Amino acid sequence: MRKIHIANAASRNASVTGVPITTHFEINMGKDGKSATFKRFVAAGENKIDADLFTQFKGEYSKQLIESDPEIDFNSVGRFIESTQSVFLSASGEPLFAAPSVVEVTLDPSGAEISRKAPVEIAPTMDDSIPLRWTGKKMPKGEVVRKFLFKRTMQLMHNDGVTFDFLHAMAKELHDENVMVLLAAGSTGKDPVILQVNGTPYRGFLEGRIEGDKFILLLHLSNMELKKPVVTAKSEGSDE
Amino acid sequence: MAKNIVVSLDGEESSFAFKAVDRASLYGKRRRIALDKDGNPCIRGSLLDDGSLLLKSGMSGQGYFLDDGTFLKQSDLEGFDVNGNALNKAPSTLGQSEKLTGPVNPNDVLDLRVKTVYVLEEENLGEKLKSSLAQGNIYQFTFNYREDYHAETAFILSNENGIFALIGDPVDYSWLSLNITPVINDTEIDDSEELDFEML
Repeated sequence: MRKIHIANAASRNASVTGVPITTHFEINMGKDGKSATFKRFVAAGENKIDADLFTQFKGEYSKQLIESDPEIDFNSVGRFIESTQSVFLSASGEPLFAAPSVVEVTLDPSGAEISRKAPVEIAPTMDDSIPLRWTGKKMPKGEVVRKFLFKRTMQLMHNDGVTFDFLHAMAKELHDENVMVLLAAGSTGKDPVILQVNGTPYRGFLEGRIEGDKFILLLHLSNMELKKPVVTAKSEGSDE
Repeated sequence: MAKNIVVSLDGEESSFAFKAVDRASLYGKRRRIALDKDGNPCIRGSLLDDGSLLLKSGMSGQGYFLDDGTFLKQSDLEGFDVNGNALNKAPSTLGQSEKLTGPVNPNDVLDLRVKTVYVLEEENLGEKLKSSLAQGNIYQFTFNYREDYHAETAFILSNENGIFALIGDPVDYSWLSLNITPVINDTEIDDSEELDFEML
């Protein structure tokens, strides 16, 4: 759940609740009616992976595998991994004794590096002092779904009677016109919607549905258009 | 030879080669990279919570285990729904003709949690489908890349950039209503009654 600061077409603002929408389809795996749990486990001990052993034994590697089982570390292999902490190691695999420096690298669609700079902290815009606002850009739903890809959606929910009326009115306007409206963030009204610190920037489109006194108001988030990539590669599909 | 996405509209088949599209393939991407003291990219490791072992790439495996610790091979796994009922495997739809339904309402597309987008390259595009897509119509079909326990929902649509298939699972939204606070009925208030402060 997130707090969302949003204004309507008349620039009246309120803080409401945004709930992410997920699918409820769930498959459990098992055997003979017994359910199984997906787990990570230790598969090789320290300095026991293939590359380490190859370096260690060189030409004797295959002989050592057969004769002395050097790849098996009985103290750790098979142990379930419950929780871990991520750590950075140097390029040679040694622990770091000081925090690493961080750079932001930009790659073009082909994967080639085009720039490198110090990263800048990006603030979220969802619960900013400046609310998300309606732009003048309203588009028919049929056009929006064929133009943009939406990978995230949040349902806007009221907190009380006043915000119910506020959101219901927005949903009704959009429903009656059968359109979606582009939202803008920031003081200039051109900033994207950003959910969290250093989060992905999105374009946000508001969609409303009405059924009697009930409503659904959805914030659909998109960070790409439906376009063909510039670099074309071989088609996918499974081999016959 | 790769298998195509094959769909049929009113008995007329269309066949498409397909390729996944993501944001990075359209616009590139930005990555934050940690550098060690020599300016080389760091590698990531995972330290077990008790600090006893540092896991590097290649040192961990994953899989399904029964409660008694028995490891299950992929080929032995069976799927169950949330109620414990066994699920049947859905075959791959690639190379198989899938019936298109629609045109669908744009809301149906907005109700899809999209996992994958494919750009479709026509190898054989039926006239009916071609003209209907050009009018902005959208059709639904069943898609399953490989045999598994869950076939996904797909929509085929077109715009000025080409023909696309959106693959994912439908979501449900909750209709919101207001629990109305009871209104005080005016007729129940007697104007002649004095306000009783003793009862407070």
